[in-house]
Amino acid sequence: MGPWFGSPLLALVPSVGEHVVRKVAGLSIDLDTVWATGAAVVITCALGLLVRRQLTSGVPGKLQLAWETGIQLVTRQIEGSIGPRGLAIVPLAVALFVFILIANLFEFVGIGSRYEWLGAPTGDINLPLAMAVFVILLVHMASIRERGIGGYVKHYLLQPFPKFLFPLNLFINFVEELSKPLTLALRLFGNLLSGTLMLSVIAFLGAWKLGSAPVGDVLVVPFNAIWKAFDLFIAVVQAFIFSLLTILYFDTAMSTEH
Amino acid sequence: MLASNFLVPNGTFIAELIAFLIVLFVIGKYVLPPLNRAMQERQEKVRAELAAADEARASAAAEEEQRRAALEEARARAGQIVEQARRTAEQVRSDAEARAQEEHDRIVSAAAHEIELARQHAVEQATVRMGEVVLDVVERVIGREVDAQVHRDLIDQGIAAITGQGTPGPRRNGEPADAADRQPSRAGAGPNA
Repeated sequence: MGPWFGSPLLALVPSVGEHVVRKVAGLSIDLDTVWATGAAVVITCALGLLVRRQLTSGVPGKLQLAWETGIQLVTRQIEGSIGPRGLAIVPLAVALFVFILIANLFEFVGIGSRYEWLGAPTGDINLPLAMAVFVILLVHMASIRERGIGGYVKHYLLQPFPKFLFPLNLFINFVEELSKPLTLALRLFGNLLSGTLMLSVIAFLGAWKLGSAPVGDVLVVPFNAIWKAFDLFIAVVQAFIFSLLTILYFDTAMSTEH
Repeated sequence: MLASNFLVPNGTFIAELIAFLIVLFVIGKYVLPPLNRAMQERQEKVRAELAAADEARASAAAEEEQRRAALEEARARAGQIVEQARRTAEQVRSDAEARAQEEHDRIVSAAAHEIELARQHAVEQATVRMGEVVLDVVERVIGREVDAQVHRDLIDQGIAAITGQGTPGPRRNGEPADAADRQPSRAGAGPNA
């Protein structure tokens, strides 16, 4: 029984981004997030190694078909935007898509309690931000490799405005490049956090009673079902958007025409 | 206050980064390469199978074409053979008709010839007999024997006049008259044959 049971409607404020924090070597660590992330890593790798064991070039099984669909989705996207030279980032985009999708799906087992026993790790800013920063670093490295260090610097000084406005160009481009990892991370994080919040709001509805009739407890069931069906959609869409934007950032960084 | 904000990352960041790197490594090194190989193999297989199917379809079409051509040829040959048989039958029938006609004509002409011969024979007999009768009568009338040998030419002229034939040449003694007279009559029957 959760802490909300028997409370009047919305008497407790749902927790927003609260985690089980422990200090490890002077750093604050969200233990619940680390645990959930570990579970997501294990599941993702297990699904990968499982499909590797029963791999066939004949009629694929359901698991192989799912992997292949994801890979083809990503590959087609990359070939359509960056072209064949972008195929090196296929593993990155696939790993992002699959890992984020599985992490997002953890929200499906959430019940809206203060600390989920297996909350979506993408609902903690640390995981989306870690992936976004890593991706943007790779994007800048790809940009330097593609244009050379001179071309890379010039790219930020000489556009979008004429040459004499280069301080303005530099400022605009700096904001743009800074916003890329932030928006990439916050979009995913915000969607998943709000999903978790919705679950706890629905859970608090359970405390609603009319006299002695447990109206809220009855309403929680359909509300939860509806919201989790929508969550499923969000989980797929957000995973896809994250890897799609990664591809598009690489496309912008590796394109030479300006 | 900053550290307590849920929008600010903390030490978990490092753990999450490591976690993602593990996933990236496993997928990039152990999952994607064999999956890509399998997908490529399947594409190759499908391509080869499609090509084989195309080939089979083409060869089936060619075979069908051949079969139709053979059938057409056989039908044409059959038509030719029937036509030929019909012509042969026609030929045989008309040949038989012609032969029958010929046979008929031959029989008719042979019969006519026989009749002519018989008639001539009868006439000759009659004339010979008539000659004898005439001689007999003449002997009696003139009271002496007419020498048949001496007056042979005279008698023959008389006979020729009776039969309506040309004057026969002089005969050797003792040759039967009918044998000599058959010659011109046979020549006369010639065109009828």
